Amino acid sequence: MTETMAAVLLGFFATGYFVLGGADIGVGMMLPFLGRDGGRRRLVVATIVPFFLANEVWLVATAGLLIGAFPALEAELFPGLFPLIVALVTGWIVRDMGLWSRERAGARVWPAVCDTVVTLGSWTVAGAWAWILAGLLTGVTDGVAGGAVVALLGAVVVALFALHGLAFAGLRLPGRTGGRARFALTAGALAAVVLAVGARLEFAGSAADDATLRLLVPAVGAVLPLLLIGQVVTWWVFRHRVAGPSSP
Amino acid sequence: MDVLELARLQFALTAGAHFLFVALTLGLATVVAVLQTRATVGRSAIHARMTRFWGRLYVINYAMGIVTGLVMEFQLGLSWSGLTHFAGNVVGASLAMETLVAFFVESTFLGLWVFGWDKLNRWAHLAAIWVVTLTAYASAYWILVANGFMQNPVGAAPGGEGLRLTDAAAVLTNPSTLQAFWHVLAGALVTAGFFLAGVSAWHLLRRTPEAEFFGRSLRIGVFVAAPALFASAVTGGRQLQLIRDIQPHKWAEFSDGSSAARVGALLMLTSFAAMFFFSLLNVLLALSRRVIVTARLWHVALIAAIPLPYVAMISGWVFREVGRQPWVVDGLLTTQDAVSDLSPSAIRFSFALFGTAFAVLIAVNTWLLARQARRGPDPVTRGPEPVTQGVLV
Repeated sequence: MTETMAAVLLGFFATGYFVLGGADIGVGMMLPFLGRDGGRRRLVVATIVPFFLANEVWLVATAGLLIGAFPALEAELFPGLFPLIVALVTGWIVRDMGLWSRERAGARVWPAVCDTVVTLGSWTVAGAWAWILAGLLTGVTDGVAGGAVVALLGAVVVALFALHGLAFAGLRLPGRTGGRARFALTAGALAAVVLAVGARLEFAGSAADDATLRLLVPAVGAVLPLLLIGQVVTWWVFRHRVAGPSSP
Repeated sequence: MDVLELARLQFALTAGAHFLFVALTLGLATVVAVLQTRATVGRSAIHARMTRFWGRLYVINYAMGIVTGLVMEFQLGLSWSGLTHFAGNVVGASLAMETLVAFFVESTFLGLWVFGWDKLNRWAHLAAIWVVTLTAYASAYWILVANGFMQNPVGAAPGGEGLRLTDAAAVLTNPSTLQAFWHVLAGALVTAGFFLAGVSAWHLLRRTPEAEFFGRSLRIGVFVAAPALFASAVTGGRQLQLIRDIQPHKWAEFSDGSSAARVGALLMLTSFAAMFFFSLLNVLLALSRRVIVTARLWHVALIAAIPLPYVAMISGWVFREVGRQPWVVDGLLTTQDAVSDLSPSAIRFSFALFGTAFAVLIAVNTWLLARQARRGPDPVTRGPEPVTQGVLV
């Protein structure tokens, strides 16, 4: 019972990451397309910057819960997917530093460098995820999968990230249309991929000991309202389209 | 180097880098939260400006803390699957608690604080920084639950393929955890105090126009660092006693020999002694408002002392972690048995990649931090608020 609850929580956090974090990754990928000049790119970055911290914590929580609640599964997945996870984390931190540092120095060269870094990092993250998810979908859990099917599925996932980013830009970027229905559609598609992957993983038998789960699962349940309040407040405070670019 | 040595070195560099940033972040968050409380409750303009200036440095530093922390979390899974396999029921669970109970909330509310200056009402904004500060403490606690267990494995018994949790209360109140927690908090405040005093001294030495602003900041730094140093001595001394009781092999390294652990311990004690005597002098000098602004030689010394807490923190940490070798979980699991079954090329690849990324990121971060620190606070008289949506702090 606690094992099932733990798996549900894991699925919840993973879905949260791909729906929320997927949006800012997608915007990062499409940054050169959405913003042709420096001023416009500044605006594009402003659409995701208040969110990226609140979004990436969903992945940190997913990884934490995987290590804590399903250590055997984690021990199988991580070493097998080693190069992809290394690429994922590298892309992630480089991209984060680009977002953090963009406004910190200079007016032209430094922001342009950061924008490039954000775009490359976002593509790396999306690509690594696409490969990981495609491999898991085909049932390979202990290594890096290959083959035409994996490549095709991976391309679909990368495209989903990009479309999801465009849908998010439609919500927050002035001059772009889209609306909530389109965002809900790409979000639903990403969530479906996550759930399909979850259905293929072996949770039974890879869970932590019951004594651990009986503490961990209720503790997570108890703090869940606080976690969600923070998220809801963030989305409420930054619900509007971004205003004009910052003063010169 | 073989896989084990590379994996250890990689983790040591990641955790060491992380620890350096965390040390300042944890202390500076506390200072900023108190400053903002004074600014909000007392409607004090100078405290509001201090909150902005020191808060900006805090955020730049925090970014590096997150980045190194992320790599560390994933590295645990990537390189040390033997540890999660054997002790996952305790170590993995406390790491999960850290990510969910502490970091998740901390990071979400930090986003609200950083980008919510003009969007949240001032009391909500104040509440945000306090949530960030308290969850940062909670985060340190949960990490030290995992680390304390690795030093002093209590509350678990062998069962199945690894350890099973038998007494959660014993794990949560492990003396190795609690004492290290207070010690790290004290050390973090020392780091923040020296940072405040050093950066302020730079501005006073250069006679930048903000003498009042940095004079006050320098005093805050000095009067935070001195009691915190005292607290770190008390908590550190108690830890040495504890080590003698529960980790006799570490105590033997400390009292004799020439290992890295002993070198770390001696370096820690030396830098502590230097800071302690320097702090006594600081407290005396900082009593005079005139001396604070005019004593140029003292300013130079304060600037030069900024790295001292870092040296003490990192060398004390080397003593704590290296002194436990060859064990990863003291007496139960060796590092040799904990390292993942990785090919040498895989670990070399990740070492090179993370090593390069960190070197670049730390250089960039230090440059940005110094740049922001040099620039000083925003001018007092401002026109209409610029639209700063999406611009950090």
